[in-house]
Amino acid sequence: MSDRMPLRVTVIGASDAGCALALKAQAAGHQVTLVDEHPQTMAQMSFDAPWFYGAALPAALMNANAIAQVVLEANPGIFACSEAGIDVRVGTIAWGAFQNGPNSRHIGAPKVGLVDAEGNALLDHDVLILTPGVRDFVPSFQGAELPGVFGVKAGVALLDLYQCYEGERTVVLGTSARAVDFVRRALARGVAVVGMVEPGAVFAAGEAARAEIAALGVPVQFGSALVAAEGKVAVTGARLRDLSSGAETVLDCDSLCLAIGALPNIELPAAMGCRMRFDAGAGSWLPETDAAGRTSLDNVFWLSGFASGGADPDAVLAAMAEGGPMGAAQPAPATATDQGAYLRRWIEVLNATGGGAVTLCKCESVTREAFLGLAPPAYLQGSLRQPKSPVTGAGDGPRLHQDLTKRMTRVGMGHCQGRRCRDEAALLLSLRFGIGMEEIRPGSYRFPVRPLDLSLIAADEPPGLRWSYWLHDPEPVLD
Amino acid sequence: METFDLIVVGAGIVGLSTAWRARKAGARVLVLDKGATAYEASSRATGLLSLCGASPLEAPLAQEAEKLWDRLDEDLGYPTEWSQKGRLWVAITPAELDELKILFQTFQRTYDDFEFVDAQTCRSIVPPLTPETQGGIYTRRSGNANPQRTSQAFAWAFQDLGGEIREHTPVLEILAEGGRVKGVRTPQGEVHAASVVVCAGAHAAPLLAPLGLLFPVAPVRFDAFVTTPLPPLFEAALVVHGLAVRQTLRGNIHLNGGPHEWVEAGVANDMPKPVTPLVRNIARRLIEVFPGLRGAQMLRSWAGILDVTPDQATIVHAFDTPAGLIACSSAGHGFGMAPSLGLALSDLALHGKTAMPVADLSLARFARLPKDWRRAWNWQAGNYNT
Repeated sequence: MSDRMPLRVTVIGASDAGCALALKAQAAGHQVTLVDEHPQTMAQMSFDAPWFYGAALPAALMNANAIAQVVLEANPGIFACSEAGIDVRVGTIAWGAFQNGPNSRHIGAPKVGLVDAEGNALLDHDVLILTPGVRDFVPSFQGAELPGVFGVKAGVALLDLYQCYEGERTVVLGTSARAVDFVRRALARGVAVVGMVEPGAVFAAGEAARAEIAALGVPVQFGSALVAAEGKVAVTGARLRDLSSGAETVLDCDSLCLAIGALPNIELPAAMGCRMRFDAGAGSWLPETDAAGRTSLDNVFWLSGFASGGADPDAVLAAMAEGGPMGAAQPAPATATDQGAYLRRWIEVLNATGGGAVTLCKCESVTREAFLGLAPPAYLQGSLRQPKSPVTGAGDGPRLHQDLTKRMTRVGMGHCQGRRCRDEAALLLSLRFGIGMEEIRPGSYRFPVRPLDLSLIAADEPPGLRWSYWLHDPEPVLD
Repeated sequence: METFDLIVVGAGIVGLSTAWRARKAGARVLVLDKGATAYEASSRATGLLSLCGASPLEAPLAQEAEKLWDRLDEDLGYPTEWSQKGRLWVAITPAELDELKILFQTFQRTYDDFEFVDAQTCRSIVPPLTPETQGGIYTRRSGNANPQRTSQAFAWAFQDLGGEIREHTPVLEILAEGGRVKGVRTPQGEVHAASVVVCAGAHAAPLLAPLGLLFPVAPVRFDAFVTTPLPPLFEAALVVHGLAVRQTLRGNIHLNGGPHEWVEAGVANDMPKPVTPLVRNIARRLIEVFPGLRGAQMLRSWAGILDVTPDQATIVHAFDTPAGLIACSSAGHGFGMAPSLGLALSDLALHGKTAMPVADLSLARFARLPKDWRRAWNWQAGNYNT
C-alpha cells in the first residue's frame, strides 16, 4: 500500500462530482477541503464571472447573510460534506495554484491561493481536484449591455438559488438542454416565457424536448436570429429576423436569457500550465486528462461534465493514492449534443445579422470589426499605418495567437477577464480567417482567475524574505 | 541556400528595433524567434524609459533613446502609448530618504535634470501617495509606453519595409567558419548571413557558449500585475517601496517588484513563467504606497524573465572572432533603450561601427570576471537575487 496516506486533498468546486469525490476521499481517510466560490458577493457577481448576471442585479442580492443560507440549503452535496466533517469553504475563491517547478522553487508544498470576504490564505495540499463547473457563453449583439440581458446559469441562480428573479416576460436565446431547463424553472416560478429563438430548423435539445416545450405552450421561432435587444434603460423587446425571408418581428419582453451554451471554467488548469487541447464537441479548450482524470501537472486532477472520458471517482481515488504522472491522454468522449458547432452557428448568424459595428468587448468597448482589424483602442485616437492581419504563424506554431489580438485591441483585457468576449472572439477569428479552432492559440489565462480587491489579496511578506528598495541591490564588486 | 545581409536572433523589442533600422538602411534582414513575436521579456516589462542616472555606462545611450522615443509613433506608423511625463523616486521612511540622498548624488554626476523634492511636491506629482511620504527625486524627463504595443509596432514597421519575421523558428546553433560568422541553423535547415546579431535575452549565453564565447548573463524571473482600470491619477512613473509603478493610458496601475528568482535557460528552450504568491506581497506594498487604492482589484498577473548582467548594465559587443557576430543583453533596460540600441546594433552589423555611445558597453569591462561568476556570487537557479 502506498505511503501517501493520508493525503491533504483540496477540491475546487462543490459540483455534484466535486462533492461526491470529496465524500469518498474523506471516507478513505484523506484530509479534505472543499472550496466553492458561491455564494458570491454582489461585487463579484457584477464582474459577470462565472455567470453572466448582466447589468441588472436584483437589490435582493444585497442581503448577503440570507443568500448564504439559501445557497447552503440548496446544495445537498455541500450539506453532506459539511456533515461528514469535511472542511467546507463556501464564498471562497481559489484564485491561483502553485507548485515547485523549473523556474519557481520557493513554493514549498503545492498550494492554492484562497480569498474570501475576510481576507486570504494559502492552503497546502498533496492533491488538487479541479471540478469548477461552467460559465455562461456570452455572445454579443446590439443591446446586449441593457439591464435584463443575462446568461442561463445566472438566470437559474436568480430563479431557484437566490429566488429573486425580476423578469416577468422572458425571451430565451437557444434551444439547448440548458435552455429547456431554464424554461421549466421559469414557468414553475410564474414567469411568462414569450418565446425561444433558434436559428436552425431543428430543436437543439432534441425531439422529446421540443414536444415538451410545445406542450407547455412556449412558442419557438425556428430559422430566426436575434438582431437586437431593444430598450433605452432596460430590455423592452427582442428584435428577431427570419433568416430566410428577412422579415423582422419584435417580441415584447423585459428579460432576455442567453441559453446557447455553457463552457467549462478552465482558468485554473490553463493558468497553471496544464496541457490543453481544443474539444470540438464542447466548443472549448479543456485540460488533457488520462482515464483517471490526471492532468499533465503532477497531483492535479480535472473532473467535469466536459472531461475527456469523464473519470470515475473510484479511479480518481485510486490514482490519487498511487501518485504518478499522467497516463495516455483520453480522447474527447462522443457526446449527444455538439455544443461546439452550435456556438459557432450562433456566432455566425449573429455576426451576419448584426454586423461589424456591434460591440464585442463590453469592458473595453471594442466592436467586432475593430477587433478583426487589430485596430488600436479608441482612447489612443490612432490608427494603423497599414491594415494588419492577426494570422502570423506558420509551420510548427499556431497560425493565430489570440494574445496578439488581445494585446493590440484589448479584447479580453477588461475586468470580466474575457468571459464575455473571448469565446466569440475566437470564433470570429476562425470564421473570418478560415482557421480551425485547434489552430488558434487561445488567449492566455492568468492568476487571479477572478478580479480580487487589493485589500483582500494583500498579505504580509514571509519572514526572512529580503526585498530591495530600489529594485536592484548594489551589484557584487567586480574586483 | 537562403542568404541575408543580417540575421537577428530574437523577435523581442531590441531585435526588432535592430532589424527595422537595418531594413531601413536597405539591408536584407531576417528575424528568427523560437516563439511568437515579443512573447518573452518585451511583452512582460513595465514599460519605463530610465535615464540610467545611476549608470554612467548607459546614460548616454539612454539619452539618445529619449530623443528617438518622441518621434517613434510617427516613425513606426503604429501607436506606442509613449508619454513623457517624468519619473519620481519616493521614500516612505526616513531610512529610505537617506538612501535617496545618496542616490541623488550619484544621479547628479550623470545628469543635471534631477531634483530632490519634498513630500508635498511628491504628493502633488502623484496625489494618491501615502501621507508617510518623506520626499523624493524627480526628473521631468524619462517616460513610459506600452511594451506589448511598442514591440509589435517595431515588428509591423519592419514588415512594412519588406522585412521577414519567422516565428516558432528557434536558432539552434550559430555557424562560423574561418573566423567569420556564417549564419545559423534552425530545425528547417541553415540560413546564411554576413552578420548575426543575437538579441535573445536569457537564451543568448547558451547560444554563444559553443563558440567558446563567455556571455555573462544570468536570467531572473520576476512577478508583475495590473489592476482594473482606474480614473487618471498620475502621469509620472514611480519607483517606490520596492516597486516600479506606472498608470497606463487605459487607467490600469501596472507594476512589478519583489525579489527576483535566478533561473536557468538553455538554447531556445521553453521557459515556464509561473507567477508566485509574491503577488500578494506586491499588492500589500501597493496599498501601503497608495492607501486609497485598497478597493481597486488585481486583475491579471504574470511573470517575466530578464537577462541580468554582472553590473546590471547593458552589453553591446561585436566579437572579433567570429567576425560579424554581435550580441546584446539589455539587463532589464531593453525596453527604454530599444530605439538607440537598435540603431547601434544595426550600425555595427552593417558598417562595423556606430556613432551611438556603446563603446563602454562591450565585454571588455568583464575581462577579469571569473568563468564561474554565477556560482561565486550565488546568482544561481533557485536563489533569490536579494
